[in-house]
Amino acid sequence: MTASTLSDSIDILHVSKRYAQQGGAPLAVLDDISLRVRAGEFVSVLGSSGCGKSTLLRLIAGLDTDYSGDIVVAGDKVRDTSLERGIVFQDHRLFPWLTASQNILAALRNAPLSAREKREAVAEHIALVGLKGFENAYPHQLSGGMAQRVAIARGLVNRPRVLLLDEPFGALDALTRGRLQNELQRIWEHERITMILVTHDVDEALYLGERVVTMAPRPGRIKRIVDVALPRPRERNDPRFIRLRDEVLADFAEQDGTRREPQEDRDDDRPNGGTRVPVASPPITEWRLAW
Amino acid sequence: MSLALFKRSSQSQQSADASCDCGAPASFRRAAQPRRPLLTRVDWRGAVLPVIAIVIWWAVSEAHVVKSGLLVSPAQVLATAWQQIESGALLKALSASLAREASGFVIGTLGGLLLGSALGFSRLATRMVGPSFDTFKQISLFAWIPLISVWFGLGDAAKVVFLSLAALLPVTAHTCDGIHAVPRAYIEVARAFRYSRWQLIRAVILPAALPSIFTGIYLALIYSWLATLGAEYLLVAGSGIGNTLIDGSEQFRMDLVLFGVIVVGVTGWALNALARAVERAIFARRFQSATR
Amino acid sequence: MSDTAIQVERERLASSTTPHAPHVPLFREPRLRALAWRLAPWVLPALLFALWAVGCERGWIAPQILPPPERVFETLLELAKSGDLARNTLVSLQRVLLGFGAGTLLGFALGAALGLSRTLEAYVLPSFNALVQIPVLGWLPFLLLLVGVGEPLKYILIAHAALVPVTLSTLQGFRQTPAALDEVARVFEYSGWQRIVYLVLPAAVPTLATGVRLAFTKAWLALVVVELVASSEGLGYLIVYGRQLFQLDLVMASVVVVGAIGYAVNRALDALEARLRRGQPSAFRE
Repeated sequence: MTASTLSDSIDILHVSKRYAQQGGAPLAVLDDISLRVRAGEFVSVLGSSGCGKSTLLRLIAGLDTDYSGDIVVAGDKVRDTSLERGIVFQDHRLFPWLTASQNILAALRNAPLSAREKREAVAEHIALVGLKGFENAYPHQLSGGMAQRVAIARGLVNRPRVLLLDEPFGALDALTRGRLQNELQRIWEHERITMILVTHDVDEALYLGERVVTMAPRPGRIKRIVDVALPRPRERNDPRFIRLRDEVLADFAEQDGTRREPQEDRDDDRPNGGTRVPVASPPITEWRLAW
Repeated sequence: MSLALFKRSSQSQQSADASCDCGAPASFRRAAQPRRPLLTRVDWRGAVLPVIAIVIWWAVSEAHVVKSGLLVSPAQVLATAWQQIESGALLKALSASLAREASGFVIGTLGGLLLGSALGFSRLATRMVGPSFDTFKQISLFAWIPLISVWFGLGDAAKVVFLSLAALLPVTAHTCDGIHAVPRAYIEVARAFRYSRWQLIRAVILPAALPSIFTGIYLALIYSWLATLGAEYLLVAGSGIGNTLIDGSEQFRMDLVLFGVIVVGVTGWALNALARAVERAIFARRFQSATR
Repeated sequence: MSDTAIQVERERLASSTTPHAPHVPLFREPRLRALAWRLAPWVLPALLFALWAVGCERGWIAPQILPPPERVFETLLELAKSGDLARNTLVSLQRVLLGFGAGTLLGFALGAALGLSRTLEAYVLPSFNALVQIPVLGWLPFLLLLVGVGEPLKYILIAHAALVPVTLSTLQGFRQTPAALDEVARVFEYSGWQRIVYLVLPAAVPTLATGVRLAFTKAWLALVVVELVASSEGLGYLIVYGRQLFQLDLVMASVVVVGAIGYAVNRALDALEARLRRGQPSAFRE
């Protein structure tokens, strides 16, 4: 299998997006997002629901062109969708009337390949995602994990230089999710194309990404970018991993306004009432909100 | 109605982890099951009522208890049936009716597909034509027959016009609905793969809308059959199974009427079965339980 | 599910094509666009009406083929004033409502009986399905012989037209109680009666509503047909009468009334069905 060494860099420059609302101020979905992704890099975009991360991905893909700012991929501004930018959706979006291989083949309809080359590409990618033997299965006959694998194969078959993944494992059970994360990592290490993964799972973001971009909601903006300088395959029990996870989670607790006050500032010490509202340590459920 | 598809085989832990979520399939063929003998397979209880009814009917007619020319015995009905079949009258009437129905159905379906597609692809057109179309649909179709008879006479032309109309309505509605209902998700996938407009229609919209379109055509078949009967009652020139029925009732021949009723029932059932078979052939593989 | 049940379900689909909101921007100004969108449905009828009026006036259309709109309107007023319209409409409405009511009630009873007892279903349903293959129109000559041309004919036919969809959807409603909810009822040890009243019936209401809705459409259709074929009173009769006298204005006026009533009742039933379904999206609606 020849590894593709062609990948593109992505420059997101001051991108903002608003939705007009009926009888009110426009709703800002994204606010001045700027990010530079190197060619061949794996970047995770992490945020809770409603922070605009999926919207951002759609803008990069070219599915949506109504925004201010620029998105430049390998020197060209993004104006529309392109076969060079593959995308995997959260709902696998396989065509139910086609088999697995036919679905992957459907991606190649406009590819400049001969029929034989297309068939070979399909077979190659079926094997890549580990679904040999299931070429003739219809989507309703596949489990969620398998269908999502087909979707990933479909996203890769055009040998795009960029692969965008929108919460691809969100709809799967935890065990399958873990397995597919390993698969995706393996594929990335093999193909080395630029990948941007959008997720709400902190572990997933840290496990797969070289950098993790945390986003805050309303309006969507980048909170911070964390470098994950850990060797692969990463150990989820590695203390460094755990420390990074805590760091990232703290970001989310902070934005909920339930940050734990340092010991000296407790209002108990000010009997005549202070200007601050006493805050207890956030219960477990509050932490969950970060997800 | 799921088909048994994979044979799950036990696999070693290693290969299971490495490749897929379940045991590798041996094949995707329909699983063969041994067939139970006919006697136990069919539920004979359903036949009890009809048998009893026929027995009672026969007994009452034999006993000459009821003095009415209307009470014909089953034997008489059978005799009439035989006579109709043998003389070719049945064939003539039925084929005339079916021929008319077929023409009306085909014309109406084709027109409906065209109109429905035009409406489906343009939301503006749907907005302009849709409400009027809906309103038109809700006026009992048969109310138009007298007008049609004025414009087209009482013969075959009028009947076919009416039948085409009966077929056109459901096909248009369902084609239009089917096209509107194609999920945006699929259209976005097509955009991601740079499908041209024509490719989009052929590869995404058409297959996605096909179940709905088929339902429309199925209804058109049923409705045009019902319309055939009605048309034959009201536009009495010509021959057909409906005419046979009306003649029978005018001549006070219950045996002929009963025979006609049975023929109508059987034909309706046959059309239904045909449509279901076609539907299974097209859809069984692709959609699990889309038809049920 | 039987062929007929599916057919009945499918026929449910034969109702409105609801136009969708997103539109082709014909104008830039959003308010103008909104206005155009609201007025769009009236363009076609207005055009047709204009064509009709102008065509009759200019003599393109002979009055025997299509009377001018003013004539039809005059005739409508005449009918209304002379009381003919009211009388015939009342007769038709009475027939359809009584027939529909009777057919629906019987349908509920039969459907419930079949739904509750599998044994009964095994014995009766096959015969029922076979009889249902014969459309209402097919029964018309048979009933003509049996009961003659009188009120019973109309009532029987209309009731039959309503009975079939109601029975089948009641049966379906009873059968389709989700097994998951059944298990909950078992956990709380509901008696058979409690299960029916508190679980099966409420769960079946949406399907029942759809069935009743369909039944009315069919009942209305049956009414029109039977009045066209064998009646001396009623809206259908007016149509035939006008046709025979070549008074097309009368025919058209009656068709308008038939259409209006059918439309109004359909709309009302739509709203009622929507409320009964309580926000559960109809499987056959967008």
